[in-house]
Amino acid sequence: MRPAVTQTAALARRSVVGTLRTPQALVPSLFFPLVLMAIFTGSFGNAPGTIPGFPEVRGFLDFALAGAVLQGILIGGTSAGAAFALDIEGGFFDRLVASPVARTAILVGRLAGGVVIAMAQTLFFVAVGVAFGARIEGGLAGLAVLLVLAAFLSVAVSGLGVVLALRTGSAEAVQGTFPLFFALLFFSSAFFPRETMTGWFKAVADVNPISYLVEAMRDQIVTGVEPRSTLIGLAVVIGMAAAALGGSFLAFRSRLRSAL
Amino acid sequence: MPRDRAVEAEGLERVFKGGIRAVDGVDLAVDAGEVFGFLGPNGAGKSTTVRMLATLLRPTGGRARVAGHDLVGDPSAVRRSIGVALQDAAIDPYMTGRELLHLQAVLHGFDRAHGRARAVELLERVDLVAAADRRVGTYSGGMRRRLDLALALVHEPEVLFLDEPTTGLDPISRLTLWDEVRRLNTELGTTVFLTTQYLEEADQLAGRVAIIDGGRIVAEGTPAALKAEVGDPTLRITLADPAAHEAGARALAAFGEALPPERSGALAVRLPGGAQSLPGVVRALDEAGVVAAELDLAMPSLDDVFVARTGRRLEAADGAGEPAAAPAPA
Amino acid sequence: MSHVLAVSRGLAWRSLILVRRMPSVFLPSLIMPLFILIATAGAFRGISQLPAFEGASYLAFTIPLATVMGAGFAGINAGMTLARDIEGGFVDRLVASPAPRITLVLGPLLAAAARSLFTTTVVLAAGLIGGVGLPGITGTLVIYLLAVGFSAATACWSMGVAFRARTIQAAPLMQVVVFLSVFTSVAYAPREVLTGWLRHVADINPVTYLIEASRAAELGTLGWAELWPGLLATAGLVAGLGAWALAGLAGLGKR
Ligand SMILES: Nc1ncnc2c1ncn2[C@@H]1O[C@H](COP(=O)(O)OP(=O)(O)OP(=O)(O)O)[C@@H](O)[C@H]1O
Ligand SMILES: [Mg+2]
Repeated sequence: MRPAVTQTAALARRSVVGTLRTPQALVPSLFFPLVLMAIFTGSFGNAPGTIPGFPEVRGFLDFALAGAVLQGILIGGTSAGAAFALDIEGGFFDRLVASPVARTAILVGRLAGGVVIAMAQTLFFVAVGVAFGARIEGGLAGLAVLLVLAAFLSVAVSGLGVVLALRTGSAEAVQGTFPLFFALLFFSSAFFPRETMTGWFKAVADVNPISYLVEAMRDQIVTGVEPRSTLIGLAVVIGMAAAALGGSFLAFRSRLRSAL
Repeated sequence: MPRDRAVEAEGLERVFKGGIRAVDGVDLAVDAGEVFGFLGPNGAGKSTTVRMLATLLRPTGGRARVAGHDLVGDPSAVRRSIGVALQDAAIDPYMTGRELLHLQAVLHGFDRAHGRARAVELLERVDLVAAADRRVGTYSGGMRRRLDLALALVHEPEVLFLDEPTTGLDPISRLTLWDEVRRLNTELGTTVFLTTQYLEEADQLAGRVAIIDGGRIVAEGTPAALKAEVGDPTLRITLADPAAHEAGARALAAFGEALPPERSGALAVRLPGGAQSLPGVVRALDEAGVVAAELDLAMPSLDDVFVARTGRRLEAADGAGEPAAAPAPA
Repeated sequence: MSHVLAVSRGLAWRSLILVRRMPSVFLPSLIMPLFILIATAGAFRGISQLPAFEGASYLAFTIPLATVMGAGFAGINAGMTLARDIEGGFVDRLVASPAPRITLVLGPLLAAAARSLFTTTVVLAAGLIGGVGLPGITGTLVIYLLAVGFSAATACWSMGVAFRARTIQAAPLMQVVVFLSVFTSVAYAPREVLTGWLRHVADINPVTYLIEASRAAELGTLGWAELWPGLLATAGLVAGLGAWALAGLAGLGKR
């Protein structure tokens, strides 16, 4: 058991170092969510308090912060999946498989590295938000819940990327899923409250799991730790993470089936 | 089974989806401490064989033992005994050489301090100390291959698999890598299983070679023995004065069977004595008063072996043979 | 002169054919404006309840954003194709031929304009399906004109980047600048609604005036007072960025 743990830690560390040293992957995951948050805040600053149905919130920035956190993890998680595909394309994966490294360490190391990045990113977004006047009503407990949600979401997103990486062995295919996540993001309450939506768009947002996840995150920021939304959000994201994790173990097994 | 066999395969076979028989019943016996060359053209099945022996690919038939462990029965024991540098395995460009070696050491169960020491040792071995803390992205092709080699050596494997270690390298980097492989073999006794498309590489480096084509072994033995099977070296002489043709032919008759010359003013003779006969040839020409403008002794090459077995040439660029004696005034 | 036109037309035709043969390039440029239209109109619909919208449908309000973004994608694509051609050596071959050099800019420009006409049509059709009628002949023409103008401006920008960077790696730079120029204008709400930094940036962002004119045309409130700032901003963008592209072209021989 012990060597597997050290190996997982070593591989997780490598994937964190890899992310930090590939600015072309890191910068978009920090830059785009912040820019969008700033633009939305400038565009919709008058919405809270004037638009009927808009939830009580100190300001639009507080409202938008959760969306930025979520978006950052979607971008970062996709890159983690793509990095795994690059390991397969480039031969690092084969080198590991031909060595006595524990099989699970190969997979878990990558996902754990993604979790570390996602949590650091979350702290960064929160810090920027707070610097520009947002307030975390949930306090430290709220922040902790936010980090847990972020960690599971990262497993879900990078896990899906890993499944694709294992099935296709192509980083391009993994990056290709990003528009899908982006669509999921827009067709949810990530950027604007569901209460103000109508018609089929609202119906889509109502069934979009991202809505429940982002609302759970948002509650930690704007209202404080709310048991109901927190539990729903946790259930949704743990379900997504479990499905992705299960899928990636299956894909891993079937990829290794051609090996010994 | 005979003791001290590093690799032993019987009827090893891999059929891919779609019925491609990439490796079609390969028998191999590599002794411990040997440098074994696995020579073949593109698509011959070299990488597929190596990937099977390295536990990366499940054979669809036959059996094999690597370092004394059954490939299918105990793959993890095989993995503990082997080091692998795969064909064009890219190395993380954003990591430094030292970091990669250290990571590899930790993955093999070294503790951090021991891993660090091992990294330094290997950096010295492959002469990358000066570049140790640069990112691999800035390395030249030759440096990358040497790092790749070092990565495969971290746990002092008994058997080292190198899949086309010098493809794409310039001649000097190739020589450096050859030296490295030789030193490994003599100093540490590591068995090296090396695939290559280059005749010269197999010739220079390997004690024994197997030639594979279309998934089957077409020849096996020491390079010298294989070449000896094919025949004797050929001596070609370009005459300074084409009129001296008759005299030259008479002088050479004692040394071997005359061959049809490729152009007028030239002579060709089969020379069973090889390079040892050259002084005699030169003396005989001198006594006959024949002046040679150019003297060229072509050894039979592994390519000739390949031709003899398959009817095709392996290396078009290398031509018919390797000149053993440079143009020499007589 | 007619030679210039013929070569430009040939090059534009080539890039349009490339577009058709490479669906991975073509489809996003079709889907993206539609996605922007639907996602924006759906997600932020609530904002149109603010009095500053004067009761306008948010879908109608968003159509100009989508046509302008479609034009922007067309322009960026011109730059990306050029960058790929420079990297792949096609441009060297062209420069070495007697074809006038200016065609290197004019060809992609024509192609971008043609594609912006196409994406604008797609967006307007989507609007029709969503229940937003066409705003009459003048209004529709103005929308097309401004889209073509923006595609020319963004094509010039992207080609200028391509001439200087000479690699497709520069694509993100082309994209980011175009996206930022649109989204720091009046993309989601009229200027009166904007707050803080965005209000100040939007005031000096020429794209603001372009979108405002297109929006006035779409909403049927177009007057000379809305039209001339839009036309002026567009003309200024095309002239300035055209100079940027031509300077890049001039630098092509002097490596
Ligand atoms: N995963 C695979 N699926 C199907 N066919 C494969 C696969 N891998 C290899 N092959 C086929 O098997 C044959 C042998 O390939 P292999 O890579 O072993 O050749 P090689 O001797 O290493 O050649 P090279 O010198 O080009 O590296 C080729 O015809 C190749 O197309
Ligand atoms: Mg190969």
